[in-house]
Amino acid sequence: MDSYWKTLAVTATASATLLAAANISAAQDKPPVKIGFVTELTGPWSFFGTSCVAGLKFGEEQINSPGKRKIEFVITDNQTSPAQSVAASRSLDVQDKVLALSGPTSSDTGLAVYGYAEQNKVPFVVPVAAFPQLTKPGSRYTFRLEPNAAGWGYAIAKFVEKQKPGGKIAMIYSDYALMRAITAGLKYQAPLSKLQIVADIAFPQGSNDATVQAAQVLAAQPDYVVVIGAGGFDNTITNQLLDIGIKPQQLIHPFGITTQVMNWGKRSVGSYYGTFFDSNLDSLTPEGKTFVKDFIAKYGRPPSYGENFCFVTAHVIREALDKNPEAADDREKFRDAMSKLKTKETTSDIPIEFDKNGARKEYIYFMQMTDVEAKSYKAKQAFYAEWDPEVIPVYTLVK
Amino acid sequence: MSNANWILFLSTLSTGLILGSIFSLVAAGVTIVYGSIWMPNAANGQFFLLAALFGWTLTVSWGIHPAIAAILVIGVSVPLSYLLEVLLIKRFYDVPNRNISYFVLSLGITQILAGVFSLTYGQWSDQFQLPPLITGITFIGPFPIANNRLAVLALAIAILAGLFLLLRFHRYGRALRAVFQNRDAAALRGVNVKASYSMSFALGNAVIFAGGILFALAYSFDLTVAWTMAITAFAIMIIGGPGSVLGAVVIGMVFGFTQAIVSVVASPTIAAFSYLGAMLVILLFKPSGLFAK
Repeated sequence: MDSYWKTLAVTATASATLLAAANISAAQDKPPVKIGFVTELTGPWSFFGTSCVAGLKFGEEQINSPGKRKIEFVITDNQTSPAQSVAASRSLDVQDKVLALSGPTSSDTGLAVYGYAEQNKVPFVVPVAAFPQLTKPGSRYTFRLEPNAAGWGYAIAKFVEKQKPGGKIAMIYSDYALMRAITAGLKYQAPLSKLQIVADIAFPQGSNDATVQAAQVLAAQPDYVVVIGAGGFDNTITNQLLDIGIKPQQLIHPFGITTQVMNWGKRSVGSYYGTFFDSNLDSLTPEGKTFVKDFIAKYGRPPSYGENFCFVTAHVIREALDKNPEAADDREKFRDAMSKLKTKETTSDIPIEFDKNGARKEYIYFMQMTDVEAKSYKAKQAFYAEWDPEVIPVYTLVK
Repeated sequence: MSNANWILFLSTLSTGLILGSIFSLVAAGVTIVYGSIWMPNAANGQFFLLAALFGWTLTVSWGIHPAIAAILVIGVSVPLSYLLEVLLIKRFYDVPNRNISYFVLSLGITQILAGVFSLTYGQWSDQFQLPPLITGITFIGPFPIANNRLAVLALAIAILAGLFLLLRFHRYGRALRAVFQNRDAAALRGVNVKASYSMSFALGNAVIFAGGILFALAYSFDLTVAWTMAITAFAIMIIGGPGSVLGAVVIGMVFGFTQAIVSVVASPTIAAFSYLGAMLVILLFKPSGLFAK
């Protein structure tokens, strides 16, 4: 009897091994699943595009473990140009026959790819682009990982409401679509949160100096100053506000990436910035800690939320395909797989699920800077908020 | 006057002076090159950015003191200019209507430099900041101003004064001005016109580099500053009168103050367009520029 069971066990094990090997072989024999990754490798947004690709590469290594059908990201430069983004999308769609598109880190290029994707029914996974209209009602093929910018404004109001009920806020920002969306959300929510906007100063593109406007902000006597400059001007505004006597604890930056935080420097210690991922988060998973460690080892600085979203994009696509293998060769099935996906960020366990328009359940952390060194910084978590994408009328606030 | 109004007034004054002196430097550099060799240098913004980025590399990456870095940046512009002149600029000296050729050439240089910056610095950071020349804050009445900005202002004014003295009193400067006004007459009076071309190209670029490094010391910047500065410098040169260094200096200061004042009484957005609007109006009445001879 014993020998009968032994024989049966050995036979079952051997069969299972053979079956698994056959499946692995079948998965590996299939051609790779191609994802078109249209991003900013040159042009004014090249820092964000190349940083995104750096994050993606870490993710790509992890998701292509032996036995799984390979996912290949076809990385293409959009030159930070909407027209070039459309041309690249068309080429990836028609010639490379990619399963889905992804990659833009700018709302301008993101909107260009969005138009192509929705019109041509190509699933589009947006890693980093915050303009609300990317998931406007009626969107069917687009899924966005980054919360929309008007919602960030909503979250700032919630943060100030908690810090200083009835507080006064000054806004000083560059007049770009992203900043307009953030301030639209803040201006909408501020009265609902019983906050007062005491200064609203917008700078055109290409501005250099904010000394006079810093003096105007000081004269308005705000409790908090929301600073959103574009590129280098962000740092100029910050420095000039501090020069004129605004305290670091009064400054709120809606977003802070690693290079920004390090450029704000020691004199900004005490100020706040919003983020969706930070190397100092309390809630980093073991995978998140490994990602941070590996990224620092390779690039000499901690990753920001942009790199994280691109890293997570690779994992999200893998998970959607693992749960729905038949979606690997069918765009409609992949769209459906993304639509019903319920997962968590690999790096921080924040839930990921999309609403009917492809907008994600939204969230933000506000960090307070505690120290800055030449190639690193420390910050502590000061506030966390989650909200429904349409908690405020984002799609009518920002057209 | 209340403290708040004093602060507003003095901040407007300081902004006007600092921006104005940097605009003046860059526009003076552009107009020196145009006045002597007829080169409308569209690459002036990229040269300005090159100086700022080189300053960033020297100070942030290599740890050199900003004052030494500033001297090195301005110094290195001279051999770079001579190299560029020997390789490219010189070849057009005898071409009729060479200003068109030079404009196209400088557009090419602009594209190449913009591409190089995008593939290098653009992938390392989205913003650049140099350490200050001097730390600390000085109070002028109730108005606090960073010592670093005061130092930049003093240096910019010193360089403009030096440039004025050179052009006014030194024999090379007088030779340059003679070429600006009438190169044939200058040649008849014994001025080596071709040599003055070389010198003016080097001098003009050195002044643009000085503007670039001073700007980088006063403000944070990114790669887009090149385009803004190129347009501003051209506008100043056209209003001041192409080839007029005095025009570049005066109109540069006017631009700086216009930007500061209009941004207070109207908005920063209107300020950004106000001087370009002023340029169009002035050109309606004096197409050759206010200080053209």
